[in-house]
Amino acid sequence: MVADRKPIGFYLSSAWIALCVFLTAFGDSLPITSYKANDFDAMGVGPFSPNHILGTDFDGVDLLSAIAHGARWSILISFISVFVASVIGGALGIIAAFWRGWVDAAITMYFNVTLSIPTLILTVAMVAVFASPDMSNPEAGMPRILVLIISLTFVIIPVLGRIARSSALSWTGREFVMVAESVGMKRRQIIWSHIVPNVVPSMMSVAFLAAGVVIVVEGGLAILGVGTDPGQSWGSMLAKNRGDISIAPHTTLIPAAAIALTVMALNYFGDYFRNRIDGRESRI
Amino acid sequence: MSAVGKIGGIAKQLVRVVVVLVLVTFGVTVIVRLLPGDPVTTLLPFGTPEQHAVLRKELGLDVNIFQYYLQWLWNFVRGDFGQTYTTVADGGVQVRDQIALTLPRTLFLMGYTIIFSLIVSIPLGILLAYKADTRLDKTVSNALFGFASIPNFGIGLGLAYLLGVKFDLLNPVGYVPMTENIAEHFKSMIMPVLALSIGLISTFTRLLRTDTIATLKEDFVTMASSKGLTNKWILWRHVLRPSSLTLLTSAALNMGALIGGAVVVESVFAFDGLGTLIAYSINFRQYLAIQSLIALVAVSYILFNLIVDVLYGIVDPRVRSHRGG
Repeated sequence: MVADRKPIGFYLSSAWIALCVFLTAFGDSLPITSYKANDFDAMGVGPFSPNHILGTDFDGVDLLSAIAHGARWSILISFISVFVASVIGGALGIIAAFWRGWVDAAITMYFNVTLSIPTLILTVAMVAVFASPDMSNPEAGMPRILVLIISLTFVIIPVLGRIARSSALSWTGREFVMVAESVGMKRRQIIWSHIVPNVVPSMMSVAFLAAGVVIVVEGGLAILGVGTDPGQSWGSMLAKNRGDISIAPHTTLIPAAAIALTVMALNYFGDYFRNRIDGRESRI
Repeated sequence: MSAVGKIGGIAKQLVRVVVVLVLVTFGVTVIVRLLPGDPVTTLLPFGTPEQHAVLRKELGLDVNIFQYYLQWLWNFVRGDFGQTYTTVADGGVQVRDQIALTLPRTLFLMGYTIIFSLIVSIPLGILLAYKADTRLDKTVSNALFGFASIPNFGIGLGLAYLLGVKFDLLNPVGYVPMTENIAEHFKSMIMPVLALSIGLISTFTRLLRTDTIATLKEDFVTMASSKGLTNKWILWRHVLRPSSLTLLTSAALNMGALIGGAVVVESVFAFDGLGTLIAYSINFRQYLAIQSLIALVAVSYILFNLIVDVLYGIVDPRVRSHRGG
């Protein structure tokens, strides 16, 4: 087969995600205005102002640096929770598909129960459980970002786990797995060498979609007032500035655009990998 | 397919739903009981130990979690959702009354959203499938893909700025009850509904397009067109029904996301609905309210999915016979 030319969307999405990852790693050490600095001579100025290419918000914070800084929070929260959830969900799904019986019933029941509460509602409840134990002393307890990551991971596990289970189920019936069983391969070996490599690609596309969902849910949490601290992630930037939308719309619309572009790129990858897997399946 | 088998299938499904319902409500109980901080001291920071003891008993926190759950479940089933404790002096506000006030707003919002999304996406999906791979199809499909990626609160804020501020067409905040002024009621709904439906329209249209393209390749479509039926007749009478199954499932699956979306969009448009109530209860540690509200949402979501499962059998006779046998 000839090396296929990838569509333009693939390069655009890769470029945007690469930029986000770069900002996550180095966003705070770039030679731009600090996201902490308040420029009191230019508060709430629009895009393309001198010194502030994206403008500033009403605290005089440069939006470009705030976006660069916010990438770290939004991307880290999303990627870490989806990665951890993929590992746990993948393991549970494969175990359920392989052991069947009551193990499968229990795991499936856990997935169904969790999925029957809307994602955002469950996350808000989880954040409330883990968040600061004492309203008068908000510093106590786990750091907010850890609370968010744990809650979002918990909520995403069944989404990825269900895919892993159904994918693993479709592979356990294949001839090569039966052959492996009949020649006396151990279960663990079969899982690692035959099941995992086949389940991972089908989880990939869902994982990309889930990463987008997590970024949006995090933004929603920020709007409801239970996200990261004001001005940290893109979502909380938007939540912080949305009261100014009538006088300085760019302060709200720029973080919203950053979220939208990231989700678009992640969705694109999700679709792209799904089509590739479907193509591979139909060629078999 | 025997009648006994069919009833057995339904019974099995009902048992499964009941088990999920019990586990969900019990899980919510565990979550709420795990909420950090002693609710009694949070609610009555300056109370005497006697007052604390009374409130603890009233909240049911003096018994173990199983007794607490059974007590709560008994009240919940009878429609007693507990009360909030912001104003303990006057006995608090009944959660049931709060729900009675906010639920209709959220239901209107969700209902309009689903109806509007389907009205737009059914013709659009069929049109795109009919014109598959033309320039029109590619342009619209790509635009829909882009729109699907914008979070609903992003669309909401964008609309609030464009329609609410720049062109000054609509009031960007608040809700007007239907009984007060029907025209204003619909006007207050336009932006929240648009914010919620753009993502759904995109999902629905893409699904329907894919399924319709698959249906158009079936033999009975070739047969119909060789009989000389018009394209319009074939599309609406022969193709839509078999193609709408995934759409129906997706509409049901999206209800969960829609409730979550409604929570955020309500907050964007300062629209005191069920979502706002849930966020408020969590922020102010209203334990009984949180528990009853989350349980209510989960229970309606599960029952809704059950109904869709049954509808599925009505729309597609093939599923009906498989399930029975």
